Amino acid sequence: MILGVTFTEAGVIGLLVATVQFGTLLYLAALGEMISEKAGVLNLGLEGMMATGAAMGFIVGVETGSPWLGLLGGAVAGAIVSLIHAAAAVGLGADQVVSGLALTFLGLGFADFIGDGYTDDERRARFADVEIPGLNDIPWVGEVLFRHSPVTYLAIIIGVATWFVLNRTAVGLGLRAVGETASTADAAGHSVVRLRFAAVATGGALAGASGAYLTTYLVGSWSQNLTAGRGWIAVALVIFGAWRVGRVAIGALLFGLTLALKSRLTLFDIEISGQFVDMLPFLLTIAVLVVISFRARNRPSPAPAAIGIAYRREER
Amino acid sequence: MKRLVLARRETPTRGGQPLAFLVGLVFALIVGAILLWITGDPVLDVYERMWDRSLGSQNTWSDTFNRAVPLALAGLAVSIAATMGLWNIGAEGQIMFGAIAATFVGRLLPDAPGLVLIVAMLLAAAFGGAIWSFGPAIARSEIGVSEIITTLMLTEVASRLIVYLEQGPWKDPNGFGFPGVTPRPDRAELGTLWERTHIGVLIALAVIIGFAWYLRRSVWGYELRIAGSSEKAAAYAGISVRRKVLGVLLVSGAVAGFAGGIELLTTTSGKLTVQISNGYGFAGIIVAALALMRPSSVAAVALAFGALQVGGQAIQTNPGVSPAVATILQGLVLFGAIGAAVFSTYRLRLVDRQVAES
Repeated sequence: MILGVTFTEAGVIGLLVATVQFGTLLYLAALGEMISEKAGVLNLGLEGMMATGAAMGFIVGVETGSPWLGLLGGAVAGAIVSLIHAAAAVGLGADQVVSGLALTFLGLGFADFIGDGYTDDERRARFADVEIPGLNDIPWVGEVLFRHSPVTYLAIIIGVATWFVLNRTAVGLGLRAVGETASTADAAGHSVVRLRFAAVATGGALAGASGAYLTTYLVGSWSQNLTAGRGWIAVALVIFGAWRVGRVAIGALLFGLTLALKSRLTLFDIEISGQFVDMLPFLLTIAVLVVISFRARNRPSPAPAAIGIAYRREER
Repeated sequence: MKRLVLARRETPTRGGQPLAFLVGLVFALIVGAILLWITGDPVLDVYERMWDRSLGSQNTWSDTFNRAVPLALAGLAVSIAATMGLWNIGAEGQIMFGAIAATFVGRLLPDAPGLVLIVAMLLAAAFGGAIWSFGPAIARSEIGVSEIITTLMLTEVASRLIVYLEQGPWKDPNGFGFPGVTPRPDRAELGTLWERTHIGVLIALAVIIGFAWYLRRSVWGYELRIAGSSEKAAAYAGISVRRKVLGVLLVSGAVAGFAGGIELLTTTSGKLTVQISNGYGFAGIIVAALALMRPSSVAAVALAFGALQVGGQAIQTNPGVSPAVATILQGLVLFGAIGAAVFSTYRLRLVDRQVAES
């Protein structure tokens, strides 16, 4: 017995299933943040974009009766609010940290605004789990890996696609160039503004989809403060993942486990230690960042060099 | 073919920032009016109520002043870190831990006279804030861990710590079994100046003036600014950047924690709750940004922002109006001001596409 949880076979499988579920949530958001940062734009508005996506995802989902349209609606809403950050930070060259935090405020407020009438809504538009035929019968592995919502499989596909676009296409090369040295990329004929806008909007869409995943699957309903700081964990995940698609996925599962642990404990109705388990993902984030920085002391940082730096052509 | 570009003004417009703030405010109110109109609420009634509740009478001025105190101190905390280019995003958590530390000392000294208790609790709050920023500070100064993420993560930790204290060790024995920390003694309450305006307003003002003056005039402040603008120059001048990073984040945390102490000593319930920080730490970042990270401008911005928040609460009590409009307004002010501020250093010019492309 650890932390009051008895480790039965069903318990462990349940925990691992929840790990993949929370991992999906974090992965979508972190992948979006990574794309934005690859282009040199830090977006600290993740929490706000996720909340907006969550609210819009629920509204579109229950009004149309389709979780797929809900997911899409959340992604579109996330992309639209992210453009405010793009306009301020990329278009006008405002400080990315300040603008991103303002987006957090705005997004959380906007989510509550549109979600106001849906707080106690009993309706549901929830994804059903999809079992991958042939693989879902494998003992243990089948249950943990191959019986999930379509969003989990979609996240894996998006992850692979992101890797491909970033590393194997001209657009990806341009995007990474813009995030390393914008002036050189500009001289090489890449449109800095256009690529950065596109990267921020893509990041916003993924964050919005991540939020919508909360309301169309993981939680299933809308309420205030639904994102509960998980957007911030996704920001840290990008650093943990060293801006690489695969490592971000590993990080998402690791942090997903800590979030899942909490949800399992609630089932066991443990009050006091519950608060400490709740702190776990946040403390783990700090510990992980410290270890990473400690190991990387004498090596060049994997971060895109132009993160946080506004680009104005006439001032290069 | 013509196209619009941003061109740098030869000299930045004078008075650009106050103007930008004003533009931001107007922008926010316009967008807010549109949102209210969409939901079918009486726009003018709501705004009139906002005005009445925040600046309409002496009585409500008190609320605005009181509200400005934590905003100004949090804004000061953020701007102190910013003199070195550091981001203390976790003022929210430092406010909470400051309040925790003050409550702790209050529990240690059950028999101390009021004034001693107040001083001890406020000092404990500042110390607590510094403790809460110590981890991020040392991680940043020694191995370069981004203080943005670590300070923020500790905010989440602090809020859970308070819930733990409410349910467990500090649970009020007279709380009828409900979770909640035992209130501080009544004599540990800051008095009022006039109406409901409490003495914390004067204390905060003194702290802000003190820091603004010290940062500008002292060797420490001077070295901070050098280290903030160029690490190489600082190293050349024999300034230890590491120690400056550590010091400035600790001081920043202390100021935020102090705000938590003032809040604890002025809340009517006298209780430590998760709501003690009430988003002041985050709003303080907006305040600091609007004040262009200048400690001397923080108080004025905090006052205006306090009015906006207190007025925003009036919206929330308006039946049928979504309370979220108040949150949206705060974000919009900043975006409006960001947009407007750019035009104090830049102007739009129409140029030939060929020129723009070359």
